[in-house]
Amino acid sequence: MEYVSPEGLRLDGRRPMEMRQIRAEIGAVSRADGSAIFEMGNTKVVAAVYGPREVQNRSQQMSDQALIRCEYSMANFSTGDRKRKPKGDRRSTEISLVIRQTMEACIMTHLMPRSQIDIYVQVLQADGGTRSACINAATLALADAGIPMRDLVTSCSAGYLNSIPLLDLNYVEDSAGGPDVTVGILPKLDKVTLLQMDSKLPIDILENVVQLATEGCKAVANYIREILLENTKQLEYRRGV
Amino acid sequence: MVGLSLGEQHFIQGGISQDLRCDGRKRLTFRPIHVETGVIPQANGSARVRMGATDVIASVKAELGKPSFLQPNKGKVSIHIDCSSTAEPAFEGRGGDELSSELSNALQSCLLGGKSGEGAGIDLSSLIVIEGKICWDLYIDGLVVSSDGNLLDALGAAIKAALSNTGIPRVQVAVGESSDDQPEVDVSDEEFLQFDTSGIPVIVTLTKVGRHYIVDATSEEESQMSSAISFSVNRQGHICGITKRGGAGMDPSIILDMVSVAKHVSEQLINKLDSEIASAEAEDQE
Repeated sequence: MEYVSPEGLRLDGRRPMEMRQIRAEIGAVSRADGSAIFEMGNTKVVAAVYGPREVQNRSQQMSDQALIRCEYSMANFSTGDRKRKPKGDRRSTEISLVIRQTMEACIMTHLMPRSQIDIYVQVLQADGGTRSACINAATLALADAGIPMRDLVTSCSAGYLNSIPLLDLNYVEDSAGGPDVTVGILPKLDKVTLLQMDSKLPIDILENVVQLATEGCKAVANYIREILLENTKQLEYRRGV
Repeated sequence: MVGLSLGEQHFIQGGISQDLRCDGRKRLTFRPIHVETGVIPQANGSARVRMGATDVIASVKAELGKPSFLQPNKGKVSIHIDCSSTAEPAFEGRGGDELSSELSNALQSCLLGGKSGEGAGIDLSSLIVIEGKICWDLYIDGLVVSSDGNLLDALGAAIKAALSNTGIPRVQVAVGESSDDQPEVDVSDEEFLQFDTSGIPVIVTLTKVGRHYIVDATSEEESQMSSAISFSVNRQGHICGITKRGGAGMDPSIILDMVSVAKHVSEQLINKLDSEIASAEAEDQE
């Protein structure tokens, strides 16, 4: 099947190096300490952060750093076919672990010993790149909660179909059977915190695809910075500064 | 949720008995309701309802299925609610299961009537394609994204809005060779039949705090309740379902009084909800 037309247009009309439209909103769940909704094209996720708060399970308490916990769950209506089990299946457990490890690397846990930070991510619509959207939403939610971090964490995916590296795969392109590389970076520090790939890819192409995904991450980081600046201006305005 | 101090509890109870709640509302006033329809494009119908900080999403998916033996001329509807952990940390893992099943059961009894399918708010016979062989199965999924009390009312409103937004694809039946064979059906991608939702009831929950009852309680107020009764009332003023929660017993005369209050309040709610749904649909169309 042709995923890139001879004119260089993908199935949804994008160019190979073009990301989907991103949209973010801070403070969607008012009960949470921090929350955000992040949309990448048709993929829409909401993240809520509760913490730092007292550790619920005493046996897991750490005396020198905060405990980070994460849960990823997909709504019944998020996929095309109705999903039976929202959470607890293997894929959700794996993605929860991936998000937790990625965020743990950038949160300054040593500043909040004996406490716990819960990150809950709920997928409302899944159209490829849910992992990346969840990490981006979690970053915004943590920033909204005022939790100290070393840097933002942004994530984007890229693939390789019809011998062309493609940025930000949607569900159809993802299920094509080609490789799907997910990259998460700390943009200011310029370090990679997450790198996952499935299917196979020639080694000489790998560097190109990872580089493309990293460019996507940097674009997301710029957008996130704008959103956070706008949010801070709103907060200043409300304080009467 | 952080516990309330004794002073705060007295403040809430005192305010309610003096008809001035913490956010300035009277006892029988609802919070502003915001409705958005068509929020889930891949579903047949969907809606998001916000009442204050309570935020719920409902989606309707239609699939072709076989009607049950006992009711060959009716389609099937199932309602399933999920409480997301974003609403409360306590809903993590299986923590939200109890509340989810309580809400699902309450909504099923309010909207779908009894076991025989009689008295359902939704006209199930409109879902039939070929009697005894093919019918539409509607799967209604609700998700609680943020919880600040009054979940049942918000979910009822969201389901009503989602059903108003639902389009059932038109089905063309090919005449089969023999009557035993599964007939061929051609599901149209273009044409949709809008669902008739004028008979769907709304749910009004009356929460008793002290000696008075309030409508649309926030979770602070719900923590002070002795009991709560949810009434599902339709446009004609008929009661379609009653659910009582909470341990405290109530005098039967109070319950009858609550029924009349619920009927009165539900009129306003139905009108408000219909106008919100209409404006949401109009915006969706633009």
